[in-house]
Amino acid sequence: MTTRRTFLSQAAASLSVLYMTGITPDLLSQAHEHAKAAPLNLDGQPFRFFTPQQAADYEAFAVQIFPTDDTPGAKEANVVRFVDFALSEIEPHNKEDFAKALHALNDQAKKANPQAASFAALAPAKQTEVMKSMEKSDDFGILRAYTLVGFFCDPADGGNKDKVGWKLIGFKDDFYYAPPFGYYDEQLMNEQKEKA
Amino acid sequence: MSASPQQRKYKLTDQVDFLIVGCGASGSVLARELSRNGFSVVALEQGPWLDRKQFTHDEYRVQAQNLLTNNPQKQPTTFRKTPNDTAKKRQAVVYGRIVGGGTVHFTANYWRFHEIDFIEASKKGTIAGTGFADWPITYSDLEPYYTKAEWELGVSGQAGVSPFDPPRSKPYPLPPMPVKSSGVLFEQAARKLGYHPFPAPVAVISQAYQGRLPCAHCGFCQGFGCEMGAKSSPLPTMVPQAVATGRCEIRPHSYVRKIELNSSGRAIGAVYFDEHGKENLQHAKAVIVSSNGSETPRLLLLSKSNRFPDGLANSSGLVGKYLMFNTDALAQGTFEHPLNEYKSIEVTRIVQDFYEIDAKLGFYGGGGLGARFLWNPISFAFGGVPPTVPQWGSEYKKYLAKNFNYTMMIMGHGTSLPVADNSISLDDTVKDAWGLPAMRVTYKDHPDDLKTSNFLNQKSLEILATAGAQNPWSFPIEEQNLGYHLLGTCRMGTDPKSSVINADHRTHDVPNLFLCDGSSMVTGGRGQPTCTIQALAFRAADRITSLAKTGRI
Repeated sequence: MTTRRTFLSQAAASLSVLYMTGITPDLLSQAHEHAKAAPLNLDGQPFRFFTPQQAADYEAFAVQIFPTDDTPGAKEANVVRFVDFALSEIEPHNKEDFAKALHALNDQAKKANPQAASFAALAPAKQTEVMKSMEKSDDFGILRAYTLVGFFCDPADGGNKDKVGWKLIGFKDDFYYAPPFGYYDEQLMNEQKEKA
Repeated sequence: MSASPQQRKYKLTDQVDFLIVGCGASGSVLARELSRNGFSVVALEQGPWLDRKQFTHDEYRVQAQNLLTNNPQKQPTTFRKTPNDTAKKRQAVVYGRIVGGGTVHFTANYWRFHEIDFIEASKKGTIAGTGFADWPITYSDLEPYYTKAEWELGVSGQAGVSPFDPPRSKPYPLPPMPVKSSGVLFEQAARKLGYHPFPAPVAVISQAYQGRLPCAHCGFCQGFGCEMGAKSSPLPTMVPQAVATGRCEIRPHSYVRKIELNSSGRAIGAVYFDEHGKENLQHAKAVIVSSNGSETPRLLLLSKSNRFPDGLANSSGLVGKYLMFNTDALAQGTFEHPLNEYKSIEVTRIVQDFYEIDAKLGFYGGGGLGARFLWNPISFAFGGVPPTVPQWGSEYKKYLAKNFNYTMMIMGHGTSLPVADNSISLDDTVKDAWGLPAMRVTYKDHPDDLKTSNFLNQKSLEILATAGAQNPWSFPIEEQNLGYHLLGTCRMGTDPKSSVINADHRTHDVPNLFLCDGSSMVTGGRGQPTCTIQALAFRAADRITSLAKTGRI
């Protein structure tokens, strides 16, 4: 989390640009005070929506969406914690649909693997098969959607822990920038400087 | 969660000069202009009044909690394609539900209409199955008010560089925003193809202006409120200026359910639910409805009476008809080097070479293209990955990681023809949280609109390929079922049989009832209506002031 102090020191690095545009670091930090909230950490607390079994099933699902490989995945992003928070606090009207979808996932797991105790209990390759067999369904859609949100949300909502989702794609949350923004406008800027 | 600035307060029994229903793009302009002109004004807004410091970049919460927009849980809508279908519950419109309206969260594209937009029907001829018509005003009638809107609100752009630019009496007040990588690639490719790219005019201030801070390039325009106050919505401009007159009260959390009439058929005010669900009647000498192109007709339909059994001011039968969404076409591709499109405003370069598509192609329409990045991290995960790539698993994850900062998008914005069946009406069974009939939306794009959109999409793909995109691809062009631009539903005109309001925005049926917002439009332009909605509001304020000062209301 960026504290006010580290934020100001970052801002100091581009002071000249800021003053040129008439924005002082103080004005900027005031403006951004609410745009950057503290991360939500619910580790160790009891779940409010999930049963422990449901949490395990959903985590297994989310890990299939964003596996942990050479970079962190859904597990490290705390996607399950996000969903538990979101369904309890922000979107309680979606609880029923989500629970139904999770139920459908387990039904499908047991249908394809009669011995299986739950989706989470399946070997990963079997989990992949189950998910592929239902990936066009609305049930799959809602489960996938919450994983995507939990992986890339503001850490203030309990997911995207340590900004692992944002770091993966290269999104920075400084919320103030000055040109050049990317490679091609920088090239143009350099060409124009040379001409001048 | 409301800003509570010191402002003049009126009693419900005070007969204010003007009661304005809706404090968004147009309502707040009218509130500021009329209060500056010496009139007492109450502006009712169904949403909250937020301070810019309350805006957040929380992509999930802004959407899931509808912090800035209509709430589909409390305000359900139903949708059907044609009047023969049964409407089903689903979100069919998105509009700003906050003081400042949709301009609080809009992308800030600020294009004037061109001369052709006002006279299309007489230039092109009628089109079967549509209500294609000329406006009762022309571009030159509106030009001074376009200029006024640009200067009063603060618009950045460069005049005189596009050969398609309509005549203007003044340049933009602020220089264009710095170009992004997408703008550079777009401009170079478009030029190579013989088109005429130019800096996008945007309602974002590129330098300090009228005491406001300039843009910090945070990258959160579309869908978000601006915590810098650099987006030139009415929130940091018209609203405080209206309040500062000491004659205007902005009343948030006020959900209007009916315009009341007296026995002689004049409006006496409006009944609204306050924050606690209590019903109030605010009295006024005249009422202006600026509730957007979906809620304005809905309110008129809700205000039916013995005198107006089919809805208030609806003797023409056209209230709610001719709804136009505009069309969007989305194409994207990836590049070798990073663009970092998540930074700064969404659009820095556009072309208007296709404003009027050659009629020889066999369909009617036109539009513009903008190099416009539509995504934030969450939405990119949903829409940024081409259908040829798996949508989950490690390949998906790798695609997102590799391409978020290397993706460029071009959006085409096109015409929607006015079709009478496309409409806002009241649902027979579904009710909102206040017990009022829900809004029913009927919409099916005219075949020409889809052809126009497809044409624009092909041009976007051509520009992407010319720019060197590795794998240009586009979303399919499909019939729409969700509208963000809500236009044409109480159209202006000279004939009371074929229009709802006259050129002064006065309803043909009720002398002291005016309508001014996207509903007033006769045609829908090329996909960027806000500039015209606000120019209309500045003009309406002049017209209404003149009528009031000469005892003609």
